[in-house]
Amino acid sequence: MNSRKANNRNILIAVDESENAARAVAYVRDLLAGLTGYHITLITIIPEPSEDYFISEAERTEWMKDKNASARSILETYRKLLIDAGFRDEEIKEVLVIKECTSIAECILAEQEKLACGTVVIGRRGISKKEEFIFGSTSSKILHTARDCAVWVIE
Amino acid sequence: MGDTMEEIVQTTPKQFSRDELKNRIAHWVGPNHVPKQLNVITDTTDFFRVDYDDVVILGDRPYLIRNNEREGRFGIDEQQKFWVKRARDLSDGSVKIIKLVFRERFQSRVGGIVFDCYRSPKKEARILDLTKGHPRFMQGFSLNDSSNNVIRIADFIKGKTLADTILQFGRDHEDYFYHYFPTIFDEYIELVEAIQFLHQRGEKHGDIRRDHVIKDEATGNCRWIDFDFNYMHGENMFGYDLFGLGNILAYLVGRGDVTVQQLRDSGSPVAERLTSYDVNIIFNNRLVNLKKVYPYVPDDLNFILMHFSADADVFYDNTHQLLHDLGEARNKLKTL
Repeated sequence: MNSRKANNRNILIAVDESENAARAVAYVRDLLAGLTGYHITLITIIPEPSEDYFISEAERTEWMKDKNASARSILETYRKLLIDAGFRDEEIKEVLVIKECTSIAECILAEQEKLACGTVVIGRRGISKKEEFIFGSTSSKILHTARDCAVWVIE
Repeated sequence: MGDTMEEIVQTTPKQFSRDELKNRIAHWVGPNHVPKQLNVITDTTDFFRVDYDDVVILGDRPYLIRNNEREGRFGIDEQQKFWVKRARDLSDGSVKIIKLVFRERFQSRVGGIVFDCYRSPKKEARILDLTKGHPRFMQGFSLNDSSNNVIRIADFIKGKTLADTILQFGRDHEDYFYHYFPTIFDEYIELVEAIQFLHQRGEKHGDIRRDHVIKDEATGNCRWIDFDFNYMHGENMFGYDLFGLGNILAYLVGRGDVTVQQLRDSGSPVAERLTSYDVNIIFNNRLVNLKKVYPYVPDDLNFILMHFSADADVFYDNTHQLLHDLGEARNKLKTL
């Protein structure tokens, strides 16, 4: 592990509309509020369906608009939560990625690399074994494939 | 084989006189089969109106439409697929499967897990292009009709499904396992390698099941068919394909599904000793621990099946892992 990066104070929190994301943000807030020098990046990844999921370009545009709006709203909610807890505005960044991705975990880790975050925080969904078997688990994949950073998986 | 998708080109349908079309039908299908009223179609958007004896012109070739294809499974009556037509190519007489565009989005439920699915003509067109010349895939091409629908035209494969093929082998399971299964296992490994070929190029098959493998009578090879099924995948894009591969393997090893019900009905003592460890993680009525029923199934092979058990702690993430274990099991099988 590259200790220089792992020890930095850039923290990436992966969020979506789920309760586990709320737990992840709350954990960081409770742990770090009041401490200085931390930079939080809230990230939402929206996997874009493949080209012919949509019947028309208009439907695709509408889908993108809706997803974009709800993701922006989630990011804004969590930004406010952190600011209310004492984080400064300039310490919080929001990133929204909409792309076709084979793996959300890989997308998150690509952003972690790009933003040089030493810590990735993600909530665990608590999916069933069946679901993990068929569709995999983002938190498990991050836990197993992350390099050069710490991973906090919040139950 | 091409590694990249060729652009689908919309082609203006070639003009044919009715007399020419009738002559071609008489030549390839027989003079008694020439329809009196010839319905010529270039826009297939309303596929319900594309009917028996119609001629569909796609690109520079006319096709005489025959019956709708059917698909059946699990004992349910075969259902007509109105958007999939068997046809005769009136340029060379060959039999084709013409897949028209059927836009469908729905939720599938597998073992209580619900996920969003859709038919994807473009995906199938990409895969036909990607697998051109590959002996383990149905062959064909795509083009757009006069209304820009992505039509796929596949060579008809004469043969039974792999599932039906194996049921006829062996006096009993032991005879099947020792005398037929090794060859079938080789076939299966090649089919998994073919799926790996897709995955390595960022495509999933999407609907891996035993009736989507046809044993081609012309070549003796098993071929994957039907690539238009797509779904919103989770973290592991290929997990559902791997699940399908596991189900097929269990079917091949067991010479058919071995179910809890069958064991109970036959009075097998094994039925009383079954636990969640023995059954499929999704289909809890099917056994994966086949060694418990057929003790001569080697450990290495059973070990693979146990990755699909309801009590499994480790799953296959990709075809590479599965193929590694299949290779080991195959080597052990040679020494039996």
